Amino acid sequence: MGDVKNRFPSSLLILSIAAVFLSGCSPKPPVEDGTLVIALPGAPSNIDPRLATDAYGAQILQMTHASLIRMDAAGNPVPDLAERWEERSPTEIVVRIRDGLRFHDGRRLSSADVRYTFEWILDPANRSPHRATYEKIRAIATPDSRTVVFHLSEPFAPFLTGLVRGIVPDGSRATGYSPPIGAGPYRVDDFQQDTAIRLSRYEGYHGGAPGIERVVVKFLPDSNVRFLELKKGSVNFVLNGVDPDLIPPALENGNLVMEEAPGSNASYLGFNLRDTVLSDHRVRRAIAFAIDREAIVRTLWKGHADLADSILAPAFWAHADGIPPVRHDPFAAMRLLDEAGYRDPDGDGPKPRFRLTYKTSQNELRRQIATVIQEQLRKVGIAVEVQSFEWGTFFSDIKKGNFQLYALTWVGILDPDIYHYAFHSGQFPPRGANRGGYRNPDVDRLVEEGRREPSREKRKGLYKKVQVLLARDLPVFPLWINRNILVRDRRLSGFVITPDENYTSVKEMVILGEKGEGK
Amino acid sequence: MRGYLFSRLRQMIPVVLGVVTVVFLLIHLIPGDPVDIMLGESALAAQKEELRRDLHLDRPVAVQYGEFLLGLSKGDLGTSFRSREPVLREILRRIPATFLLAGASMVVALLIAVPLGILSAMRQHSLVDHFSGFLAMLGLSMPNFWLGPLLILIFSLGLGLFPVSGYGTAGHLVLPAVTMGTGMAAILMRMLRSSLLEEIHQDYMRAACARGLSRRAAVLRHALANSLIPVLTVMGLQFGALLSGSIITETIFSWPGIGRLTIQAIEARDYPLVQGCILFIALCTVTVNLLTDLLYFRLDPRIRHE
Repeated sequence: MGDVKNRFPSSLLILSIAAVFLSGCSPKPPVEDGTLVIALPGAPSNIDPRLATDAYGAQILQMTHASLIRMDAAGNPVPDLAERWEERSPTEIVVRIRDGLRFHDGRRLSSADVRYTFEWILDPANRSPHRATYEKIRAIATPDSRTVVFHLSEPFAPFLTGLVRGIVPDGSRATGYSPPIGAGPYRVDDFQQDTAIRLSRYEGYHGGAPGIERVVVKFLPDSNVRFLELKKGSVNFVLNGVDPDLIPPALENGNLVMEEAPGSNASYLGFNLRDTVLSDHRVRRAIAFAIDREAIVRTLWKGHADLADSILAPAFWAHADGIPPVRHDPFAAMRLLDEAGYRDPDGDGPKPRFRLTYKTSQNELRRQIATVIQEQLRKVGIAVEVQSFEWGTFFSDIKKGNFQLYALTWVGILDPDIYHYAFHSGQFPPRGANRGGYRNPDVDRLVEEGRREPSREKRKGLYKKVQVLLARDLPVFPLWINRNILVRDRRLSGFVITPDENYTSVKEMVILGEKGEGK
Repeated sequence: MRGYLFSRLRQMIPVVLGVVTVVFLLIHLIPGDPVDIMLGESALAAQKEELRRDLHLDRPVAVQYGEFLLGLSKGDLGTSFRSREPVLREILRRIPATFLLAGASMVVALLIAVPLGILSAMRQHSLVDHFSGFLAMLGLSMPNFWLGPLLILIFSLGLGLFPVSGYGTAGHLVLPAVTMGTGMAAILMRMLRSSLLEEIHQDYMRAACARGLSRRAAVLRHALANSLIPVLTVMGLQFGALLSGSIITETIFSWPGIGRLTIQAIEARDYPLVQGCILFIALCTVTVNLLTDLLYFRLDPRIRHE
């Protein structure tokens, strides 16, 4: 019996020793070892540039794979692997790639690799989700090792944005979680599905070797854990992954700093224009007047968002300035509803003018926003039932037109051709994203002209008219554009926050010493 | 024994098939189109149709089910829509992490439950008994989404003992195992206590003590083994659940287990992967239950004789 008695404390002792042993003497923060540790809120489902569709995959690819061109902060194309490009005609784009380019494994990067990448995507057998982007390509010619000629079936102004696509070596097979070789500033050392990806500096990068030697990207879906990792120092860089409420405590100890810059992801309220009540533009405008966006931005987003007047960010080249803003005015909302024939049956009493359903995802913040909007609309006599669904179900309903009101965010707008996709009357789902059933012949004509017009200035004029018409008709009500928030270790420097949350400038980053000198 | 084993193995087949069939029907019934999720909205209608054809999603559900069963009979679980990897490879890749966490959680649970369960039964109504009762209540009341971050706060941020999250070293295993093990420890502890108390008051225990055996020795040599049958049943059920993964714990600690894979597959409407994951979970559950039943043979001679 005595034996047994003594076994309990000894097992505790073993545990304690194990705990100390396992702790591994608490390593120093990775930033001191010259490692940038980025946390992403999710894991990519694929990191092959020909197949990846999610934002996390795209962000990793911005570090590992170089493309012919990339977009600057205003959405203008700038050279990457391409030295220059020219439009010989509206249907013939000639791209001249740089000399001496090499992939991470030392292979030369030539026009054949470029052609292979795009032809692979276009091959139906490969089932690339990006095939539609290149449907206007009729043929790709490679007259020499540095020249690629894209022949289009018809003029297509947004074509250049499609050239932001990582180039892979000729003959690369798609092999699930093993990404093909790239020519970006970082090479992939190890990809642990759902856990992390480890990258190391590619010394032969055409833009010069990156400043930081090692980059680890951790996939941390839980926002509290991202915050705790930042506090511990085991993560030192989070872009748009810290809840607004957790930013002040994250900055408390002085090791972390926050940077904020305008974003481009536009949240909006969608209306179903096939609905009897919502088909009246006065009702839609009344709803817009009734929503106090400033209060939502102030309280729920803690000020980290800008009110939107369009689904395009103000910094974007095609954004139209001077669109009259919709200000919160509940009295104007009530007047408009009266005019539309929806009088309040009992004044301030409980009976509403009419009832609507509002669909949203299960994201906690989105649900809170829905609840606030529900309350704001109640004040003008509109009863709203909020329904939140798991993403697949929610999106399926939106695509089927099974909604009255819904809230969503446009992410990753690279070209104003989005207006064709989202508001042209020929783009009802499943063909396009005109989910609300909006029809306006003027908008149809303008967006069709816009995608054919090669001159950027003329396109800007066309899309300005589109934005003015949409602000008048309100098929969707642009709510706000979230600001991009970077929380990083104070010793990290050189990252430029772009509206589209681009990670391209990771290669420019350096780790500063205590006195501010580069390490 | 052999006959019993074969009959149990035969029983497993309809159970697993039943689970897989129900899941097959349910996943096809819930809204959400895998083709839309895979290709995104901007894909061409023709491209979507092509993909639907490629994935055999254009065929009637009954035909798809038949194809699934045919593949299953050949050991082919299909290819994941999402990653384009064979489903079996996807699942096999998660098995080490899943088994490691399940095993470690069980060890944590037993390390807490066995000593405290025995002590509280031997010293019923004592301070130790009340304290272990309080601990059990605490263990059961603390949800993992709260306990996990709390452990990180104390042991990772405060004491710097363990990494916050991730997978790869022994240090990464401790906090998720404790998070998952505590709730189970509470159940096992109370189960062991009550089962042991029942045995302690049996005549054979009085007889053992009358023969001069100390109470502690009698409890540990005789009563403990006899009280293990119900505890083992609960352990088996709990271990089966552990092998199914814990979405919450795996998400908090970024643990690449089967639970997270299943939820990701459901979100992506990755039908083959969902079916593969559920098949794995069903197999684990019935296998653990079978092993538990086989352990009864070893522990209880009466069952052997029956």
